[in-house]
Amino acid sequence: MLHYLRIWFASARYSIIRTMMFRGDFIVWSLVELFWMTVNLLLISVIYRHTDSIAGWNQYEMMLLVGTSMLIQRFLMGFFWSSIFEMGRNVRSGHFDFFLAQPGNVMFMATTRKLDPDGLINAGVAAAVVIYAANQLGLHPGPGDLLLYGLMVLSGLVIHYSILVLSISLVFWLTSAHGVEGTYFTLTEFSRLPREAFKGIVTQVLFVWLLPVVVVSNAPARVLLDRFDQDWRWTFGPFLFAVAWFALAVFVFHRGLRRYASASS
Amino acid sequence: MFSLFEKYRQVFLIGLQSNIVYRWNFAVRGFFSLFHLAVVFILWGAAFEGTADIGGFDLRQTLTYFVTLLVLQFFVSAFNEDYQISEEIRNGLINQFLLKPINYFAYRFSIFVAARLVSGALVFVPLLVALPVIGEYLTFPVEGWRLAVGIPALFLSALIQFCIAYIFGMLTFWFLEIQGFVILSMAIESVLGGQIFPLDLMSPDVFAASMLLPYPYQMYFPGAIFTGRFGYEESLWCLGIQACWVGILYTIGHGLWIRGLRRHTAVGG
Repeated sequence: MLHYLRIWFASARYSIIRTMMFRGDFIVWSLVELFWMTVNLLLISVIYRHTDSIAGWNQYEMMLLVGTSMLIQRFLMGFFWSSIFEMGRNVRSGHFDFFLAQPGNVMFMATTRKLDPDGLINAGVAAAVVIYAANQLGLHPGPGDLLLYGLMVLSGLVIHYSILVLSISLVFWLTSAHGVEGTYFTLTEFSRLPREAFKGIVTQVLFVWLLPVVVVSNAPARVLLDRFDQDWRWTFGPFLFAVAWFALAVFVFHRGLRRYASASS
Repeated sequence: MFSLFEKYRQVFLIGLQSNIVYRWNFAVRGFFSLFHLAVVFILWGAAFEGTADIGGFDLRQTLTYFVTLLVLQFFVSAFNEDYQISEEIRNGLINQFLLKPINYFAYRFSIFVAARLVSGALVFVPLLVALPVIGEYLTFPVEGWRLAVGIPALFLSALIQFCIAYIFGMLTFWFLEIQGFVILSMAIESVLGGQIFPLDLMSPDVFAASMLLPYPYQMYFPGAIFTGRFGYEESLWCLGIQACWVGILYTIGHGLWIRGLRRHTAVGG
């Protein structure tokens, strides 16, 4: 464990030094993420100019939900996105050989190599949105609530990571995973919707439970909003999903790895 | 004159062939845009629960607007033309055009038209599949003038989309990497192009100010004509503004091409 932590710190240090070398790039990408987050908040403010509630959620409750969803996504972008995105290209080009020769688990080495400080900085902005919304709602969560919220955000991150690794692992079979990342972003759009907005049985099964993109953001938001109702599915669901999806991602990645034939001479 | 037309007709036909090769890519993209449509239906369905109309339009009219925009997106949007132009400049592939009697803008635009015809036709496949579900929500106004004004507006929208992509591609003469600029601009374009919400839902002052920019004419404007969000006189007035923006953006793109070529170094034998 300590060995992997040391490797990760070395990679993180390298990524930060590299980012500081290309400061202009860092500023542009930080602005890109900030703009997209603003777009989501703008949508909410425009809709609430004309209505008081979306599926029983008021404007600041929705802001808290969207802020939580953005927080998880920023962590994913900051810690894993670049590495997983490049994995697809590396498998196709044969550069994936580089990871096979490294001193550690291949999946760990391939998916944690690069850190994006711009994503992590914007995680601070997303957290500020959550705090602002909680303040507007007059919420005073206790230490237990905050701890549970943090753990659920972490399990949400694991679920997002697993879904992304699963999607990109298709490259072992398809050779090209070009465009798969777009699919992932489409799915995350659902995580900005309140659970109550899903009416039909098909959408509930598909997006709430089968692909737990809705649970990922709704569960932690409900902890702060006191909308938990002591329902065991909401308490344990995110953690069970995180374990199940991570196990599936590990399984599929390693099955795919067996098919990897390299492309170098 | 005929030989000039024939030259770009051939480019168009080659573009058509090469884009048909990627038909599955466009079809899959179209299929996944149904997920985006599902988000729109769920979100706006929930927003309309407590109110009969939003901004003077009911749920069916609002959803029709988003479906229309989805179709328009595949017909007029620049998908990756900016990257293609950028790659051609960076890799020195534009050198061949400097020695031939061919206009680079017209060449790229011919390929763009071919690509949009293929992607536009293919988006109907997933839409036909979804029609049994979304069909009951679609409602279009029947006035004939909407087609007469909407089709030229659509053509001008395609030109604006292409000109903006062309301008971003031209930036490669000055910057090595344009991806950041493109995605930053995409965020602005998606909001002010009306893809996130109908622009008329913003406050009247902001809406009026936004209509002076080129972005609403990329997609919102033709979408608003076809779905009844704009009246006749309003549409004619905006068509004039749209034509002005085409002229301005073309001039900027052409200026960047001329200035960029002065900086360009063609290497190789």
